[in-house]
Amino acid sequence: MTRGEFLLSMEELLELQPGELKGTEKLSDLEAWDSLAVVSFMGLARTKAGKTLSPKNIASSECVDDLFALVNDPVLS
Amino acid sequence: MQAFIRAIEYHLPETVLATAELAAQFPEWSVEKIDRKTGIAERHIAAPDECASDLAFAAARKLFASGFDPSEIDALLLCTQSPDYFLPTTACLLQHRLGLPTRAFAMDFNQGCSGFVYGLGLAKGLIETGQAKRVLLLTAETYSKYIHPLDKSVRTIFGDAAAATLIEGRESGAEALIGPFVWGTDGSGANHLMVPAGGARCPRSSETAAEIQDDSGNCRSRNNLFMDGAAVFEFTLRAVPEAFHQLLDRAGKTVDDIDLFVFHQANKYMLDTLRIALDLPKEKFYIAMRHCGNTVSSTIPIALSHALAEGRLEPGKTVMLAGFGVGLSWGSALIRWA
Repeated sequence: MTRGEFLLSMEELLELQPGELKGTEKLSDLEAWDSLAVVSFMGLARTKAGKTLSPKNIASSECVDDLFALVNDPVLS
Repeated sequence: MQAFIRAIEYHLPETVLATAELAAQFPEWSVEKIDRKTGIAERHIAAPDECASDLAFAAARKLFASGFDPSEIDALLLCTQSPDYFLPTTACLLQHRLGLPTRAFAMDFNQGCSGFVYGLGLAKGLIETGQAKRVLLLTAETYSKYIHPLDKSVRTIFGDAAAATLIEGRESGAEALIGPFVWGTDGSGANHLMVPAGGARCPRSSETAAEIQDDSGNCRSRNNLFMDGAAVFEFTLRAVPEAFHQLLDRAGKTVDDIDLFVFHQANKYMLDTLRIALDLPKEKFYIAMRHCGNTVSSTIPIALSHALAEGRLEPGKTVMLAGFGVGLSWGSALIRWA
């Protein structure tokens, strides 16, 4: 999954306009980043990157790019 | 003897909680957003004086009204986490209320979303060891009584319901009609989905009734149902695919041999994710929860009942069932429609 594809998927997940996310946004600053968005992100990681992420992995992420690093982390399965 | 599912009926309480009502109460979640994520338009909610046993009674009466005789029931299994009393066993109350014979075996078992599959395992055991010929499996929940009205994380998902399934024995044939099974339990995740207070470990008190608000604005006390949605989602994505492959291996079958997949109807987003992760064809992956929500142990029999009514369950069809949730507990089984 490329970074561009990831940002597009995250924009859809967070109900943002295409191109709105740069990747550097802090998750705590995104109004739509709530418990439902976390679950939706876990689904995205599973269906588009084959990764089953834990809530702990996600809680340690601070910005959108950290989430991108998670879905591309070769150590996580 | 060979156990098989003879009939299924279900009952929903009268009061309806529509998604529009929830969206009005929680404006941060639109009707479209709730609908897209949960796939639920309506949940049915038990009346204040209506217990899980009342719903189970209504479902069983519906089943008997379709041509079955209560006096021929040898065993009653009630799956519930909303019993009438700490004791006696609610199944004993239902034996009397339904007019089942006093010679009948009757017991409750406390399971949630995996409960229907566990019930099938117990019923098969009773029948195929000659202890019973007809087993009435009742699944009934009133989770709404545990849910805080300001907790949208669970209020949008769960609905109350009961289902009645008649499992009978017949002369053995070439292939099992219920089974094989794959079971799983992981109590380390017990705190991900629980009502913390009210049992012997933590009796209800003014302290447990103290309300707190979580980071998403949901309100609840320790007397209420709590669900860590992300933790339950992770568990599901790990446990269900593994059990799925184990069951196919155990049965010596492939996806092509299965006519219908009926998984616990947790919510649409979770089911869609599982379907894609398992690469299952959409037309074989049955979803029937829009009118009633996640009814815990009744979701699978409710879905089977709809599949039957739609002509999707003709004799000889092979169905994979998968129940998973609170416990954490999971169970998968193949059934062949007789």
